[in-house]
Amino acid sequence: MSKIMTVDILSSIKGAKPSDSVNQLFDVIKNANKNTTLNTVLTNVVSLDDLRPDEVIESSAIEKQIIKENFPREKNGFLVVAKVIED
Amino acid sequence: MDSQIHKIHQELVNKEISCTSLVQEKLNLLKQNTHNSVNSLLEEIALTLAKKVDDKIENGQEIGLLEGIPFGIKDVYMLQGTYTTASSDLLKNYKAAYTATAIQKLLDAGAIPLVKENCDSFGHGSSSENTIFGAVKNAINPDLVAGGSSGGSAVNVAKDCTVFSIGGDTGGSIRQPAGYNKIYGFKPTYGRVSRYGLMAYASSTDCVGPIAKSIEDVRIVLNVMSGKDIRDQTSYVSEAVSADSKATPIKTVGYYKNFIDSDAIGKEIQTDFLTTLEKIKAQGIAVRALDFFDADILVSTYYTLAMAETASNLSRLDGTNYGARIEGSNLKETYSITRSENFSEETKRRVVGGNQVLSQGFSDEIYLKAQNLRNQISARFTEDFKEVDIILSPVTPASPPKIGESLQDPLAMYLSDAYTVGFSLGGLPALTIPKGTSTGLQITADKKKDAEVLQFANFLNEIL
Repeated sequence: MSKIMTVDILSSIKGAKPSDSVNQLFDVIKNANKNTTLNTVLTNVVSLDDLRPDEVIESSAIEKQIIKENFPREKNGFLVVAKVIED
Repeated sequence: MDSQIHKIHQELVNKEISCTSLVQEKLNLLKQNTHNSVNSLLEEIALTLAKKVDDKIENGQEIGLLEGIPFGIKDVYMLQGTYTTASSDLLKNYKAAYTATAIQKLLDAGAIPLVKENCDSFGHGSSSENTIFGAVKNAINPDLVAGGSSGGSAVNVAKDCTVFSIGGDTGGSIRQPAGYNKIYGFKPTYGRVSRYGLMAYASSTDCVGPIAKSIEDVRIVLNVMSGKDIRDQTSYVSEAVSADSKATPIKTVGYYKNFIDSDAIGKEIQTDFLTTLEKIKAQGIAVRALDFFDADILVSTYYTLAMAETASNLSRLDGTNYGARIEGSNLKETYSITRSENFSEETKRRVVGGNQVLSQGFSDEIYLKAQNLRNQISARFTEDFKEVDIILSPVTPASPPKIGESLQDPLAMYLSDAYTVGFSLGGLPALTIPKGTSTGLQITADKKKDAEVLQFANFLNEIL
């Protein structure tokens, strides 16, 4: 099933439309030359030997307390979320 | 200017001033908030820490160089228990649950945080006008913008409200406001300082860096913040930058001639820059003109990638777990209203632009092509640094605009970043010094050669 997603839906921003100023930047990219022979060196790639341990780190009591203070809506110590409706 | 950190340290050690009176004096200046540089004051924390430093001195204990030195923090860094708003409506009541690694290292060294500083919302801007706390005014002429996005941080340093401030630089956000307010601002090599606890704008170019009134203070703060952090896997182990200002001789300086021959550059900046090159030549250093990518390619590549990354990074801000939620009739409606009402126009423009280029049908034509261009730019830097030790450029093509002008013309604002964004895409270290042109000079070296940048800055300070 094909469904076209407009930018307002993709961005979760009501009534959002592409900007002319930003589109002018994208036009520059479209018209630029691509180098197909370039050997990319991915300098920010992390080595497998250097990955951090895959383990759960318990938050401190103060961290948990502040996270709860940041809840947009709270009920009986739990975060209240909107009901999910699939369409 | 000489190091403020060394000067204050000696005054504290000699008991010429107390840390409490120093901190109180700075807090009093910040309370006036004459330039809209302040988002929130950290008065209680600051005075408590100051008293501890005074007690230590009174008890005859030694204090470290940064102990008792007051500093400011751009309001995109986590400091546990403090408001961390990103100058946005969405997070105006958000409190950081933890502390950023760079900030924690400064706290561990004894520096005293005074203020969370105004900036463009989520780093989205080059003028510090895109904020819910009022446009930041330039420290030299308050009718002009402070620059951005770390405008509040630059102004606080320039006005002596903080000894140094920690800014964030994604495409020039430390270097450009430093230039507009005639102080020093350093973007280290990407990964030298951990990004953990910095609210992500564009993760592949986001950098943590110091803003200060001397190269020595930049060096001291940089050394404290640098280092590998397991919580930011792009960070790396680095050697401290030595105080020896003549460690490696600089033989050749390059400059991009298309930056200087451009119609977009102001006449005065152009003339002053060329005069600076002559002064460098007169010191026996070779100066070489280099070819480079057009400014519109650099700016478009940077903004395409930065928008794509920010669209992804900011997708978590939907009012569910935190943020100013506005309830709708269902989940999607809640997301949509929350983001529409709480994001600024510039943030929405960037999020929408990012989702455009990431969407099916556009990613090959725009996003992946911009990635290819970024690789071409990086490859060019690698070649250039085989020929020259340093690349020198103006920081900006023009003087700071009047407050209000940038908001009317987003494209002009994007293009004003022409001289800084390329070095961000390359992940290179780059420093603004308040010399050479009315908005300063930008000194850049190859990756991980941060020491050479500071060394050449010391040399320029001597000859300009």
